[in-house]
Amino acid sequence: MKFKPLGDSALLVSFGEVIYEEVNDRIHSLAKAIEKAGFEWLMEVVPAYSSLLVVYDPIKTSYTQVEDAVKSFLDAGIESFEGRLVEVPVVYGGKYGPDIEFVAEHNGLTVDDIIEIHSRPVYRVYFLGFLPGFAYLGGMDERIATPRLERPRIKVPAGSVGIAGKQTGIYPLESPGGWRLIGRTPLRLFDPSKEPPTLLRPGDRVRFVPVDEDEFRELYEREWGERND
Amino acid sequence: MIELLKVPSLLTVQDSGRRGYRKLGVPVSGFMDDYSARMANYLVGNPGDAPLLEFLLAGPTVRFNASAVFAVAGDVGVKLNGVPVEPWTSHWAKRGDVLEVGTLKSGLYGYIAFAGGIKCKPLLGSCSTYPKANLGKSLEAGDKLNLGYAVLTGKDGRYLPPELRPDYSAKEKTVRVVLGPGLDHFTEEGIETFLSESYTVTPESDRMGYRLDGKAIEHSERGADIVTEPLLPGTVQVPASGKPIVMMRDAQTTGGYAKIAVVATADLPTVAQSRPGERLRFEAVSVDEARELLIRREKILMAIRDFLDGKIHAYKINTGGEELIAFTKVEKE
Repeated sequence: MKFKPLGDSALLVSFGEVIYEEVNDRIHSLAKAIEKAGFEWLMEVVPAYSSLLVVYDPIKTSYTQVEDAVKSFLDAGIESFEGRLVEVPVVYGGKYGPDIEFVAEHNGLTVDDIIEIHSRPVYRVYFLGFLPGFAYLGGMDERIATPRLERPRIKVPAGSVGIAGKQTGIYPLESPGGWRLIGRTPLRLFDPSKEPPTLLRPGDRVRFVPVDEDEFRELYEREWGERND
Repeated sequence: MIELLKVPSLLTVQDSGRRGYRKLGVPVSGFMDDYSARMANYLVGNPGDAPLLEFLLAGPTVRFNASAVFAVAGDVGVKLNGVPVEPWTSHWAKRGDVLEVGTLKSGLYGYIAFAGGIKCKPLLGSCSTYPKANLGKSLEAGDKLNLGYAVLTGKDGRYLPPELRPDYSAKEKTVRVVLGPGLDHFTEEGIETFLSESYTVTPESDRMGYRLDGKAIEHSERGADIVTEPLLPGTVQVPASGKPIVMMRDAQTTGGYAKIAVVATADLPTVAQSRPGERLRFEAVSVDEARELLIRREKILMAIRDFLDGKIHAYKINTGGEELIAFTKVEKE
């Protein structure tokens, strides 16, 4: 385990460049313990796969003091991180998932196989980053791994479910993007008027549930207060 | 209330930024140059973190629909009803007055503060605009903004002497950095390149990050890509091209490129105020030195605030061939 400064206002704790659930559990346990301690210099903590950023106010404390404080939590033990199970309805293919045929062909499978393989696992939310509410999910079946688009799309609609290499994820907001789109969820992943503003949170488990277009439209209207045609 | 008559460039409402939501992927946002922005707020008697207008390069034209006191921070021409008035000075505007803010002669971001601040409904604890996630929007001509309540008496006529204003006119600026934490992803030669060459700010730079051009920084056999880790504004990432990117206030919260350094917080405004085509040089300091720079800067800002509030005097003194600003307390009569 390594402790290093990230500039003059943050400490980066790293458990090595790895992606394991056990390591991620340690990261979230440590993050919780630090948050709970209520240090007056603590600005915020940012967990990732196997690293944790402790952001502090350098006017109030020094790097050395923060490092000592964080080290004192290391023996505190690791809790397995009990998130919620969030079911994410997805309409696969068609205009909602324009790349699903490519993903099928690329992997020598049928479209139904892709839907089946993609919606079977329970995915873990390792952390959020990249965009507000974007979840780094672990657990995708490598049989459906597909490289990114050569030319990213200018506009990917919010809720789009995509595959990039061995990862899968959901675009929380309309944005440019190079992932292969296989479907779309009607759920709102980021809503600044809500507290917390994100549907998914670190440690949650996610299951994709296939729905048809009618269900998608109904859920969309309920979620966004407008129709999607 | 104020109404925007013309908006020639990017104009947003910003405050000191959004805290506590980075773990949900929400950037901190806020003032690109917090030094100038805080001074603009102090000039009109606001707390340093009050919401104000931030413009990129060229300022807007604004009509006042009620009396207000305003101040413009930046190396820029300012007109009130067509008559030139000083920047870095607080002025009284009456109902119907029109404020025109020109184009910055140096630096990249300018600020317009109003006594009482811009009234806004905070989203996730801040009024900072981050349009990508519908946290506010970039302002357009025709938009109207409400100002917060303030007693205006005594807020106008405050003046910041030129020697106390930040100077961003140099075409090449030195920026202090704390090296790491990804140094093992670079060769010794690569680190040496980063610290000895100058890097040019490219036009592909915005509130999210400044892309720099210059001699490529050599990666070690560990390569440019890392398992995604958290980052902060000021982080210098180096992708496989070897050309560094300085993350700025709207930066994503995590990133997958090796980090060679992080800009000292006190020097982030210097980066923010560097235009495309201008150059940056990086100088390594320790974490403690970077912290000292910030504490010293904070003391100066507090002294400037007290000076503008009439609590202390400022003097220019010569000592050991160096010109320094000294502050003394105003004696009560």
